[in-house]
Amino acid sequence: MRSLTPQTTLSSIARMARSLGGFLVLLVAVLICSASVVSAASIFQPISDSHRSAALELFAPLDASFGSLEETYEALRTFEVLGIDKKPDISLPACQSVLETLGSSSSASKDLFYALKVNGMLKCEINKEVFEGIVSKLQAAVSSANSLLDFYHSIGSLVLIKNQTSKDDLHLGDAEGIFHSIKALSQSDGRWRYSNNNPESSTLAAGLALEALAGVVSLSSSEIDQSLIATTKNDILKLFDSIDKYDDGAFYFDEKLVDAHEHQGPLSTTSSVVRGLTAFADVTLGSLNLPGDKIVGLAKFFLGIGVPGDAKDLFNQVDSLACLESNRFSIPLILSLPATVLSLTKKDTLKVKVNTVLGSNAPPLTVKLVHVLGSGSKDTSIIENQELKFEPESAEYFLDALPKSVDVGKYIFIFETVLHDPEHNKVYAMGGQTQVPIFFTGVIKVENPEIKVLDSDLGIVETKMKLDLDGENLVSLSANHLQKLHLSFHLTTPLGHAFKPHQAFLKLRHETSVEHIFLVGNSEKKFEIILDFLGLVEKFFYLSGKYDIQLTVGDAVMENSFLSAIGSIELDLPEPPEKAPRPPPQPVEPYSRYGPKAEITHIFRAPDKRPPKELSLAFLGLTLLPFVGFLIGLLRLGVNLKNFPSSSVPAIFAILFHFGIAAVLFLYVLFWLKLDLFTTLKAIGFLGAFLMFVGHRILSHLASTSAKLKSA
Amino acid sequence: MEKLSISILLTISLLPFLCSSFSPESPTDRRILVLLDDFSFKSSHSIFFNSLKSRGFDLDFKLADDPKLALQRYGQYLYDGLVLFSPSVERFGGALDLAAVLDFVDSGHDLIVAADASASDLIKSIATECGVDFDEDPSAMVIDHKKYAVSEIEGDHTLIAADDLIQSDVILGKTKIEAPVLFKGIAHSINVANGLALKVLSASPSAYSANPNSKLSSPPSLTGSAISLVSVMQARNNARIMITGSLDIFSNRFFTSSVQNAESKIKYDKSGNEQFVTELSKWIFHERGHLKAVNVRHHKVGEADEPAMYRIKDDLDFSVEIYEWSGKSWEPYVADDVQVQFYMMSPYVLKTLSTDQKGLYHASFKVPDVYGVFQFKVEYQRLGYTSLSLSKQIPVRPFRHNEYERFITTAFPYYGASFATMAGFFIFSFVYLYNK
Repeated sequence: MRSLTPQTTLSSIARMARSLGGFLVLLVAVLICSASVVSAASIFQPISDSHRSAALELFAPLDASFGSLEETYEALRTFEVLGIDKKPDISLPACQSVLETLGSSSSASKDLFYALKVNGMLKCEINKEVFEGIVSKLQAAVSSANSLLDFYHSIGSLVLIKNQTSKDDLHLGDAEGIFHSIKALSQSDGRWRYSNNNPESSTLAAGLALEALAGVVSLSSSEIDQSLIATTKNDILKLFDSIDKYDDGAFYFDEKLVDAHEHQGPLSTTSSVVRGLTAFADVTLGSLNLPGDKIVGLAKFFLGIGVPGDAKDLFNQVDSLACLESNRFSIPLILSLPATVLSLTKKDTLKVKVNTVLGSNAPPLTVKLVHVLGSGSKDTSIIENQELKFEPESAEYFLDALPKSVDVGKYIFIFETVLHDPEHNKVYAMGGQTQVPIFFTGVIKVENPEIKVLDSDLGIVETKMKLDLDGENLVSLSANHLQKLHLSFHLTTPLGHAFKPHQAFLKLRHETSVEHIFLVGNSEKKFEIILDFLGLVEKFFYLSGKYDIQLTVGDAVMENSFLSAIGSIELDLPEPPEKAPRPPPQPVEPYSRYGPKAEITHIFRAPDKRPPKELSLAFLGLTLLPFVGFLIGLLRLGVNLKNFPSSSVPAIFAILFHFGIAAVLFLYVLFWLKLDLFTTLKAIGFLGAFLMFVGHRILSHLASTSAKLKSA
Repeated sequence: MEKLSISILLTISLLPFLCSSFSPESPTDRRILVLLDDFSFKSSHSIFFNSLKSRGFDLDFKLADDPKLALQRYGQYLYDGLVLFSPSVERFGGALDLAAVLDFVDSGHDLIVAADASASDLIKSIATECGVDFDEDPSAMVIDHKKYAVSEIEGDHTLIAADDLIQSDVILGKTKIEAPVLFKGIAHSINVANGLALKVLSASPSAYSANPNSKLSSPPSLTGSAISLVSVMQARNNARIMITGSLDIFSNRFFTSSVQNAESKIKYDKSGNEQFVTELSKWIFHERGHLKAVNVRHHKVGEADEPAMYRIKDDLDFSVEIYEWSGKSWEPYVADDVQVQFYMMSPYVLKTLSTDQKGLYHASFKVPDVYGVFQFKVEYQRLGYTSLSLSKQIPVRPFRHNEYERFITTAFPYYGASFATMAGFFIFSFVYLYNK
C-alpha cells in the first residue's frame, strides 16, 4: 500500500519536456501559471517504504538471476541504498557470471566494468591472477581508447579493481595525458562529446566524463595539475548554467538535441551528471561552489518522480539520491509536511519534517514560519516569524497553537530552516524558503434557509416555508409565470465570518429531465437567489409541470458540503408560441436501448367453418334413400331377366358388356379415391373401345331378336 | 525469374494477413502503437503497459511528435490498436493527423484516448469526432466536494473517488469493482445524438466542471451525472474507443494508492483503478464481448438436410452457434436472450432461442401461412457486445394441388348421391335390357 504523495507527476515532467517548441510552451506556461497561483510549491516526500516494495517488485530475479550483469548491479545497488534485507539471494549465479566475464579474454570493457561492480557488492572469491590479467588489459585499453565510453568503462574498471584488491600500486601510466585526452572532448558549454568523430555534444556524456576524470585523478600516481582540475570545475559550473527548471522548484538536466532514437530522458541524464559530479567532488580538494538551491532542486527532481515503474528508472533515482545523500559539496535537506489538509474541527496540528533525501533525520535545526498568507488577502500576513517546536520522538516540528484568527480557507505557509551549527551550512543545502499551500477545513454553519413564492410586481409573499436541508421534509410549491421564487440562506464560518463557497448551485429539474442550473449569489453572509419566472419562460422552453429543486453547496474547505433535495415546484407557464425553442433532446438510458424484443408469433388464418359430422352423415343417409326406394320399386314391379340371351355367344357378350360398365363405374370410384385424371382417361379410353365393341354386339343382338319377335 | 514472380505472388497473397483489424480468424498477436508526450510515461504507467504486454500485446512506444510516425504502409495498417497518452500534443509527427486516426478507427481498429488538464485541441477534436465533447474551458477540472478522495495532501477536491460505474459484466468483467476509482482530470459529456457511446464511469450528482482556483461567474456547462469521466464507444464496424479526461487514471501512482471516499468510512488499501482500467482495456482490445455466429442451420422437423424451400405451415428447426472471444480462444457464449426473426418486410415470427449452454442456440416454429421470400434474421445487439447481424434467405411456397385435404365429411352427401346414382344406373341397365 502506498499513500498518495504530492509529486510533480510525470505528466508534468512530460509537459515540460515537450515544451521546447513553439506555441506549446505558451500554452503550458499559461496552464502552469494558472495552477501555480495556489500550489506555489509542491511538497516533496523523501524516499519511503513504497520505494522499497516497488524495488522488490521491479527487481524480481528470473530463476534466481538477472538478465545481465548490468541489471544485477542495478538491483544490488538499489537494494543496498534502500536498505532492503529480504532481498532475493542471487549471489551464487551472479558470482558465477562475474567469474566467467572476468576470466574470459574476449570480454568487452563494459562487461568487465559491470562484473567488477557486481563483485564489489557481492565480494566473490576471485584469484589475484585474474585481476592481474585484467589490469594489464585495461591499461592497454585506456591508452588506446578514443571514445568517451571506452575511457569511462576501462578507467572505471581500474578504479574498481583498485578498491577491491587494495592494490596501492595500481596507477595509470600517463594520468595527465589521459586527463587531457578526455578533456579534449569537452565543449565550451560544459557538455561533452562521445568521441572525436561525433560532433554532437551531450549532457549525459558530461556526467560520464566527470566520472572518468574522477577515476583518472584517483588512479594517478602524482598530483594532477590544479589548473586542469580548476578548468574542469569551471566546466561543471557552465553545465549548471544550462540546467532546466520546473515551476515547483525542481532542477534537472536534459539533452538539448532531442533525437528520438537515442533520447535518454531527463532522469538518466540528470542521474549521470549527479553521479559524475559526486565522483569528481570526492577525489578533488576544495569546494565546487555549486548553488545550494540547485542541489536541493536536483533532489526535488528525483523525489518528484515518485515511485518509478521501471527498474532502470528506479535505479537511476535511488542511486542518484544516494550520491546526493553522501556527497562532499552539499547534502540537500528536504522539508516535507505529512498533511496539508488540516481540519479545524478535529484540531489537527501543523507538522513539518526535515529529512535528507533518503529519509534519515536532519542535523539539529530550527524551522521557522516566516509568513502565512491568506488566499483572499494576499498582502497581510497572519503569523510572522514563529518558531516551530521540535518533538524528538517523531522527529517532527509542530506549531503548538494556531493563532485565533485562522479560519477555514486556503493559506500559503512559508517556512525557513536555520541550522544550529553554522559549520553545517557548508555541508548541507536547504534551498531557501519553502512555500506550502495549506487547507484548513471546518464545518460551515447553514442558517435560516427559507424559500418563498412572491407575487411579481408588489413583492407580496404568497407562500413562505422554512427549509429542511437534511432532505426529510420536502416542500411542494406552486407558481405561475407572473410570480417569483426566492431562496435564501446564511453561511458562516466557525469564527463567525461570512463564507463564500466555490459551489452554490440551485438546480431545477423538469419531469422530462431538462435541467436548469443557477448560481446562488451572495451579499455578505446572506445567500439568495430570485427566479423571476416571467424572464425565464423562454429558457424553460415553456415547459409547465413539476420541477424538482436541488441545492448544492460545497467548497474545498467545507467539511459539510451538501447536496440536498429541497422539494418541488409546480410551474404553470403559458402555452409556447409557434417559434418557441424546443427543449434539447435528453440522453437515453443505455440499458433501455438494448435488451430483447417482445416475441411475435404468427396468427394463422382460421380454417373454414364446417357443419358437424353427424349432420353430413345424416344427409348421406338421405341421399341413399332414393336408391333404396328404386330397388324396392323394382321388386314391387316384379322385374325379371327373361330377355337375357340364351345362346352362349351373346350371353358372353352381355356379361362382358355389363362387366365393362361396372369397370367404368369402378374406375370412377378409383378416380375419387386415388387416381389422377390422366390415368383415369387412359383407362377409360381402353374401356370405352371395349364397351363400344361388346355393347354394339349385344345391343344389335337384342335389336335383331326383338325385330324377329315383331315380325313374327 | 519464375521464382521471383512466385515469391512476389506469395508476398502479395500474405499481405492481408500481416495486419488487419480484429478478425475472428486470427485474433492473436496484436500490435499496439502507444504515443506518448514523453518516454517517462513508460515508467510512470508501467503497470498498465505491463498488463497489456503480459496479455500478449506487442506495444510500440513512440513520441507523439516523432517525425517517422505512420499507421499504415502501402495501404496496410501496421497496428491493430492505438493508445494516445499524449494529451498536450498539438500536431502529430510524420504522416499521422486527425484524419489518419479517424481512418484507422473507420477500418475497425481500437483506440484509447487519454486527456488531462493540458489537453490540446487535436486531442479534443479526436474526441469530438468520436461523439464525446470535452469541456471547452481549458482551465476547468472535475471538482466534487462530496465524493472526493480523502487525502491529507490534496485539498482542492479535484482528486475524485468515483464509483458510479456502468452495470455491465461484459465491459467491466464479472468481478465487481469494490474500491472507488481515482480520477483527476477534465470532464466530458456524451453527445446526445450519439447512440453508440456509453458512459462507463460517471461523476456523482454533486460534481461540476470548473476552474478550482477562480470564482464561478456563470453556471458551469457540465454538472452532476451528465459529466462522464470515462466513456467508451463501439462503432458500427465494432471498432472500440475509450476516452477519458484523466491520464493519471492509468498511472502507477493511482493504481497503487489507497482510497477512501469522503462519504464512506471504508478505506480501501488499493484503489479500483487497476481492476477498472485492466478490465476496460480487455474490452477495448476485444478480449471480451466479441461475438461470432457460425453454423446457421435450419431444416424441417424430423429431417436433417436444409431444404431449398419451405411450404407454408411446415414445422422447422433453426439453430445457430455463437462464440465469444476470450483473448485466447473462442468460448461458447451463453445467454437467454438471443432471438431469431422470420422476416419478410417485417418479422412474421420473432422467437427467443433456447441454449444448450455450449454455444448452440435452437428454436423451432411453424412457417406462417403466407408465401414469399423470407429471411431468417438474427439481430443481436447487447450492451457491450459486438452486434451480430445475420440473415439467410429462404422462399416459402403455398400448398400444391394434392396437398390439400381429401374426403371431407361435409362432402359425403354429394359423393353418396353420385355413387347411388351410379349403382342405380348399373341395375337399371339390366332391367331395361333384359326385362320381359
